[in-house]
Amino acid sequence: MIALIGLVIGVVAGLILEPSVPVVLQPYLPIAVVAALDALFGALRALLDGLFDERVFLVSFLSNIIVAALIVFIGDQLGVGSQLSTAVVVVLGIRIFSNVASIRRQLFRA
Amino acid sequence: MKQGQKVRPAGPADASMTLLNEVMKRPLDPSYLEVAARKAAGLDTGPRGVRVAWVLVAAALLGAFITTAVVSLREPKDGVVQARALLVDRITRGRAQVASLRADTATMSQRIAALQSDALASSDPELLASLNQYEVVSGAAAVSGPGVRVTLDDAVGIRQNPDQADPSSRVMATDIQEVVNGLWAAGAEAIAVNGERLTSLSAVRGAGLAVQVDLSPVLPPYSVEAIGDPATLRARFSRTSASTRLEWLGARYGIVSNVAGVDRLQLAGAGQATLLYAAVHVPRAVGTNAPTATPTVATPSTPAPEGNTP
Repeated sequence: MIALIGLVIGVVAGLILEPSVPVVLQPYLPIAVVAALDALFGALRALLDGLFDERVFLVSFLSNIIVAALIVFIGDQLGVGSQLSTAVVVVLGIRIFSNVASIRRQLFRA
Repeated sequence: MKQGQKVRPAGPADASMTLLNEVMKRPLDPSYLEVAARKAAGLDTGPRGVRVAWVLVAAALLGAFITTAVVSLREPKDGVVQARALLVDRITRGRAQVASLRADTATMSQRIAALQSDALASSDPELLASLNQYEVVSGAAAVSGPGVRVTLDDAVGIRQNPDQADPSSRVMATDIQEVVNGLWAAGAEAIAVNGERLTSLSAVRGAGLAVQVDLSPVLPPYSVEAIGDPATLRARFSRTSASTRLEWLGARYGIVSNVAGVDRLQLAGAGQATLLYAAVHVPRAVGTNAPTATPTVATPSTPAPEGNTP
């Protein structure tokens, strides 16, 4: 609950303040958003399974974003940035899919 | 316990795909389970107030970050649209500029041609005659006369919804090339594609799906006009492979084509040829005007001898 309130505060603050992202970070934003989606769906599933924990949620959220951005950064340095972005998107995409599938099973029993 | 009895547990058949299995079968972060187990065991302790504040701040920061990311990812759309509009504007202006420059070139070429024939008419009428002939043959001068018009157009499906129909039911550059070659073979004296006069240096090429004649794009419907005796031209054209190809294109892809004789065709000249080779003309005695000694016609294959004025 507290994490949810915090997130809402952050979202509102982000919408009102509209801080600009440094150009250096721009390439990692799409990956960060996908990683955040993965963490969000993971949290939703954990909530439905009755396993949700705020600290785990935040840590997984943060580590997802940082690791995803780091992988893309290293890929960029090695000249395989786009391929590694694809890898990250595929892995996170599979996770999102299976989490959403299990959420669906929980909600609709189907 | 004896060492020999220790049997290595047989791994699962898909042991080599542990990474994929990890992703597919355990999408939920395992730490959720761990923390739940610890909670169940009553091990989860700690100062409550500090944790609440920590969670709140971290969640707010993450939310703000993600919102910022999403907002800034959505923003460039306007920029893209603006850039596109700017490009479209520049293309339109560039085209207008090209059109006006072309008109300028045409008037200039006409004046040059007029001055040239004026100058030559008095000094060397014979040279002027051969020059005029060369200009007609090479496509530099405008010509008119009876001829044949071959029209080609994309299949009806393509014209109605260009995005969905089979792209091969478009008229390709190779089709036009074939028609042009067929007309030359049938004895055409001058050919123009959509008003673009073909010279001895012209090329009909495909750039993606677009057709270019001498690097200027032409759009369907294509009209290939050839000057020559209409009856002979039509009869001889119908015996070329181009005619067979047109029939096949119509039957296979629905490409519409038509060959018709025209009483009078007016083909524009390609304009002044860029001089690739030139030399000072030395007037000779009348009657020794061998074709090899008339360097006025630009021929790129001629190697320029040393000492010539460029």
